[in-house]
Amino acid sequence: MAERSVKELVAGLRPGYRLGRFGRVVDDTSQFMDIGYGDVLRLAGRHYLVFKDAMERRFGYVDAKFWVKKCLELETGERRIVKLVFHESFPLRVGDVSVLCFRSPAKEARVLDTVRGDERFMQGFTTRDAAGNLVRIIEMISGNSIENIVAANNMQHAGYFRDVFPSLLARFIVACRAIAWLHSKGERHGDVGRDHLFIEHKTGTMRWIDFDYAYETHENPFGMDIHGLGDILVFLAGKGVHTIQGMREAGTPRSLLATLTADDFSLVFGNRLVNLGKIFPYIPERLSRILRHFAAGAEVFYESVDELLDDLEPAAEAMRGEVRGDE
Amino acid sequence: MDPKKILIAVDASENAKRAAAYVARVVGATPGFRVILLTLERPPERDLFKDDDSHRQACEARERGMLAAQDEIKHILTQGGVPAASIDAHYVASCKSPMAEGAEKCGLGQSIALEILGYAKEQGCGTVVVGRRGVSKAEEFLFGSVSSKIVHSAKNCTVWVIS
Repeated sequence: MAERSVKELVAGLRPGYRLGRFGRVVDDTSQFMDIGYGDVLRLAGRHYLVFKDAMERRFGYVDAKFWVKKCLELETGERRIVKLVFHESFPLRVGDVSVLCFRSPAKEARVLDTVRGDERFMQGFTTRDAAGNLVRIIEMISGNSIENIVAANNMQHAGYFRDVFPSLLARFIVACRAIAWLHSKGERHGDVGRDHLFIEHKTGTMRWIDFDYAYETHENPFGMDIHGLGDILVFLAGKGVHTIQGMREAGTPRSLLATLTADDFSLVFGNRLVNLGKIFPYIPERLSRILRHFAAGAEVFYESVDELLDDLEPAAEAMRGEVRGDE
Repeated sequence: MDPKKILIAVDASENAKRAAAYVARVVGATPGFRVILLTLERPPERDLFKDDDSHRQACEARERGMLAAQDEIKHILTQGGVPAASIDAHYVASCKSPMAEGAEKCGLGQSIALEILGYAKEQGCGTVVVGRRGVSKAEEFLFGSVSSKIVHSAKNCTVWVIS
């Protein structure tokens, strides 16, 4: 049987679908830079029409992820993310610390297998293209990152902390349990951050995405994930990141700023306030104590997610009904 | 646990050599001491490599480096007066290593510190010696510290941390 062109595939599988460009059918995805809008990836007996490269927003910049394609699965009409093989290594800076990071398709494929059917994580499967590349086909999550969701909230902190934060915290605890479970399977997420935790519109569930980061670790293989969870917790409790400059611009009284010391700021990102109770005194001490574990002044670190949860779960329980939002 | 039975945890770092040099200065040729040089294999993780071949090559290279360092450290001890007959060099392969197949014993690699302490207990070592990497507080939080964990977890033995 003659190979069907993109035009024939689209006409046959998605009749009436209008496409601006009919590209080529691709079996070998090695040259991912050459794959773009209108091409069709033929993988695992299905056809994925490419719309565009995925984009990543970090520190105000937008970078195209040329190896990640936003697609339409022609057989089902479902949107999919298709992640192609890109063996990249780069120094990942975490505050003043640098760690050599690797993008590992094999690791992400393994984690996808581990979390199959667990809605706390993104779902997908792995297949090999004609050249043997490990291609991951991911179900799209209809939702937004917690970073964007919190940023879009226009409430004052006190109201947010009283009315919105408890629900976010309850769901974040579920997300923490998910990471603890992943660790119990000997796997790391690798890039725990507020841009990799999505809230699904339909269910309100928090779901982890992107598992392809791998790096060499020393004594605690899960420390980076725990740091990421702490960073998210501080972000959620603070309704954003609070730097000295940001607090000055927001009109925080000088007398209050004068009480802040280096010990109140993040152990890893020295310009971010972690001891939030100093500027938001209605934050319960029990929660503040947990936040201070991630501060430069911390004497003891959380060595496992379970240790964090042992403190966080009762703190959240105690907060229910206690948060009065005194302004 | 015999305090005169000293376990030095070594790798290919300068810290390990410093630790050995310190033990040599303290123990020297004094009779009655026994020194175990323990090298725990820490293979590079498979996820950091494109394929099995490149991973295996890196593991082999690291193993060669570790064994060469162990020889060098043994030399540091003997130069410092410790009799060669009083030194035992042990190498424990990692279960995660592609070369671990057939090894009598292999390390799980979950916690180097706990494996060192477990080995010391098994061998009846009353003194455990480690070099200190000198990491920052942030690095210790993010990646952990073998020497800190040994200090916090050690029971029934003395720990020397050499800076």
